[in-house]
Amino acid sequence: MKPTGLLFFPAFDWAISPTHPEREERLLYTRDQIFEEGIMDLPQIREYQPRLASASDIARIHFCVPSIERLATEAHLVSAGGALVIGDAFMKGEIKNGFAIIRPPGHHAMTVAHGNRGFCNINNEAIMIEYLRRKYGLHRIAIVDTDVHHGDGTQEIFYHDPDVLFISFHQDGRTLYPGSGFVEELGWPPAWGTTINIPLAPYTTDEGILYAVDSLILPLLEEFQPELVINSAGQDNHYSDPLANMNFSAGGYAELNRRIAPHIAVLEGGYSVETALPYINLALIMAMAGIDSSNLREPDYERRAFRESPDNMERLKRIATLQLENFRRREEMQADLKKKHGDFFSTYRRIYYDTDNISENQEIRLRLCDRCCSYRVIDSAAAHAMGESYRVLCFSISLYSCPDCQQEAREAYRHSLERFLGHYDFIYLQDRAADEYLCFDCSGFEERGIGGRMPGEGED
Amino acid sequence: MLLGIDVGGTSTDGVLICDGCLEKSVKKQHRGDLTESILKVLDELLEGREAVKVQRLVISTTLVTNLLATRNGARTALILIPGRGLPFSFYRIAPDTYFLKGSIDFRGNITEETPQEDILAAIEDIKTKGIRHIAVAAKFSHRNRSLEQEVARAIRERCPEAMVTLGSETADRLNFPRRAATAYYSAMTAPQWNEFASCVEEAVRQRGLAAPVEILKADGGTMPLEVSRQRPLETAYSGPAASTMGAVALSPRRENAVMIDIGGTTSDIALLIEGEPLHASRGACIDGCFTHINALALRSMALGGDSALQAREGRLEISAKRLGPAACFGGPAPTVTDAFNCYHSLALGDAARSQAALAGLAASLHMAPQELAAAVVEQVLSRLQALIEGMFREWENEPAYKVWEIVHRRKFKLERLIGIGGAAEMIVPQLAKRMGVPFTVHRLSPVANALGAAVARPTLSLHLYADTQQKRFVIDQEGIEGTIPNPATFQLADAEALALEQLARLAEEKGAGCYAKESRVELAEQFNMIRGWSRVGKIFQVRVQIAPGLIKEFKGVGA
Ligand SMILES: [Zn+2]
Ligand SMILES: [Zn+2]
Repeated sequence: MKPTGLLFFPAFDWAISPTHPEREERLLYTRDQIFEEGIMDLPQIREYQPRLASASDIARIHFCVPSIERLATEAHLVSAGGALVIGDAFMKGEIKNGFAIIRPPGHHAMTVAHGNRGFCNINNEAIMIEYLRRKYGLHRIAIVDTDVHHGDGTQEIFYHDPDVLFISFHQDGRTLYPGSGFVEELGWPPAWGTTINIPLAPYTTDEGILYAVDSLILPLLEEFQPELVINSAGQDNHYSDPLANMNFSAGGYAELNRRIAPHIAVLEGGYSVETALPYINLALIMAMAGIDSSNLREPDYERRAFRESPDNMERLKRIATLQLENFRRREEMQADLKKKHGDFFSTYRRIYYDTDNISENQEIRLRLCDRCCSYRVIDSAAAHAMGESYRVLCFSISLYSCPDCQQEAREAYRHSLERFLGHYDFIYLQDRAADEYLCFDCSGFEERGIGGRMPGEGED
Repeated sequence: MLLGIDVGGTSTDGVLICDGCLEKSVKKQHRGDLTESILKVLDELLEGREAVKVQRLVISTTLVTNLLATRNGARTALILIPGRGLPFSFYRIAPDTYFLKGSIDFRGNITEETPQEDILAAIEDIKTKGIRHIAVAAKFSHRNRSLEQEVARAIRERCPEAMVTLGSETADRLNFPRRAATAYYSAMTAPQWNEFASCVEEAVRQRGLAAPVEILKADGGTMPLEVSRQRPLETAYSGPAASTMGAVALSPRRENAVMIDIGGTTSDIALLIEGEPLHASRGACIDGCFTHINALALRSMALGGDSALQAREGRLEISAKRLGPAACFGGPAPTVTDAFNCYHSLALGDAARSQAALAGLAASLHMAPQELAAAVVEQVLSRLQALIEGMFREWENEPAYKVWEIVHRRKFKLERLIGIGGAAEMIVPQLAKRMGVPFTVHRLSPVANALGAAVARPTLSLHLYADTQQKRFVIDQEGIEGTIPNPATFQLADAEALALEQLARLAEEKGAGCYAKESRVELAEQFNMIRGWSRVGKIFQVRVQIAPGLIKEFKGVGA
């Protein structure tokens, strides 16, 4: 039996600020618990060490404004690199599944990244997914975001991509940051129905969440048939978490992972550093390694005696029915919507960066193609906290775009360099199909490549 | 006069050093029991000398190693208090294991008490089975030893004749299964070690030695014989430590070096980082269980001077077996030594016999003899080099948990090979040339092990855990705990000073006082504890140690 890969990177020398929830102490007690248990000595476990993600790994997902260097500190590169190491270990068949216990987290970071949103600068899972797709030729991937906060960054990054099924359950956006993740958010026309949100009422318990798993998440995974299942493993649904209001337990997290059986889990949020994280992390490791976790409970769990309300169970049943229906008619809806919109679909959005106090306005244009997932053009303007403001134009070509779409996008990029220089600070080209990432600095009148290309499959 | 005695696999070696000169060395094949061989070597070393002039005697022995290998220790019951976490079925350490309720968390809070009646029931059962050695270990007992102490108290009351070993007294650091194994194997080997210690004490007294007797530990340092009674397990696996400290003594530059001990059929490799031997990150493994015994990081390979050369399915194979000495020394078959002898014209023994033996094998492999010799040399050197470089990589990729450590990954920069063991003289110069570094193969390398024992200095380490919110600190050795008098202003520097002060005190007690000022901080962590948005305290972890090294009295032996 192959072992479970474990990459533990607590970043003991990194914090957003000394008293911020994302601080050095966050994984201290988790470290104590998993090392006291002797987890790393078990034959069921293989420990991995992180590396630094490269500039091209990040540029494959993000348009970092003004630059990758300004947005992704060494801590972010190591954290994302940790996810890449576990992804490689899984794809190379060294492990049966893997868990990257890494920080800083990433699931609120979107395609265009002007700063920190919800404690996230760059999106670790998305970076890993696009890296694995590039390196190992994967197509269909499912992400189950189990953080209490809606994984709006990951949702946005794959909102146009029908090959990535994004499922998120979270505390209802009307009661918690980031205020999104409603059932109506189903994806842009070419990917309608491959984003599935499950907003949960505050105080939902193990019973409620596991019901959502059984009645909705498992059928979705079964029907989508992904090549890779990823758990975007936040731990803030816990009953003791200071930032949210749910009643999920460590045992519930273990059971959830046993049922979903993700190939890779990547730590996201979770800020009950002393009373929840040590137990949830251990529970998750044990569940992934196939170790019986019935002897693992929070010290105060029995006293809590949580009960799910019948009303909430009814509500969950309605959501499950609705979302299964939506998912099952996705292909039909996608075809209708594409027909309706013609060659381009476009939309406007406002994005707020809570941590860095940045407001961004975006216009997104999505090229619709019958043969491929084509390309996106994002026009983004944001006033940063320090008074600088940036406007950037971003061209993003999908990995599996058809040659016509790829060429059209590259021409559009070149064309914009000739005509719109005066409007923008930077114009970017993200050509995933060619694994080429360019940034044109409009004030310095200079184009530069970001990172080097990745060696093909089999090379390393 | 400094005396060192090392009990090896086949023989017991001793050296006597006087004024920086090796005055005498003794090698005795084992006959009878270990204690006897040690005393024979001691007597031979002392022959014609005044015992009172001996300043120090250090013994490195395989007694505990053998007890563990043959499972001949005393029958020992293991009482575990694992609390919540892994299933109890994961703790397969001892046949007589008792699980008690009770739980401690990572900050040393008792979250569940151990019921008195459960303790008593376990003790009764142990008594009925006639077991008189008991080890007790609780999860996180190094942060709070009260649950273990409660069990110990009950045992003393109900079963006063039993010997009790506590996890919190035998092992520092996190890792409950290792702590449990360490306590268990300590308890199991203690009776026979104590017998040995008493025997040595008596013998030394009879011979009129007034000098302190020290025992070599697996970490390359020594401890007083008296202290070893509490920590017998640390004497296991001291053999490689003796050889490695010998290498340090023979090349006492503070360099990044590789100690390579090439014997008849095995090669052992240890790393010296700026002259200090590297410790294994996991602790010694006994019977499949990791322990908290601090042992040197060692890599071994079944390859030595006497390794026989064979043809296997038409291809050259360097066998792991020994068929006898090298052909040039009258052995029955060609060996690695014969190949080096021919290829590098070393004129060892009867070189013509090396030639002849190789020629015979070469014919069956359809090779010229010189071609065969070259192939063997190449294979030996490349395998040793791969072993060494694998060890560098392992050191470079040791787990790291800080951004700084990952970004600035360390790199092993090799500066020297130090060869010891019978075949080192023949192989190490060629290996050094291949790896592009200088080498040392000292004329005294055949007695490096006993020399290493003789001149190794005491080592001592401790781990301090301080929690200013709880206003307390624990030192996970010797059962020291206390309160922090000024928690509001207590800083990392205070924690380091406290740890060093405690280490100095312990060093004084253990006859290592003169090395206390060479102690240093190995690890210093501090974490702000934030609840809500304000700081409620700090957690500090500090490890300090007197690292392995050479005693002050030793000024080196001439080249
Ligand atoms: Zn969260
Ligand atoms: Zn296309």
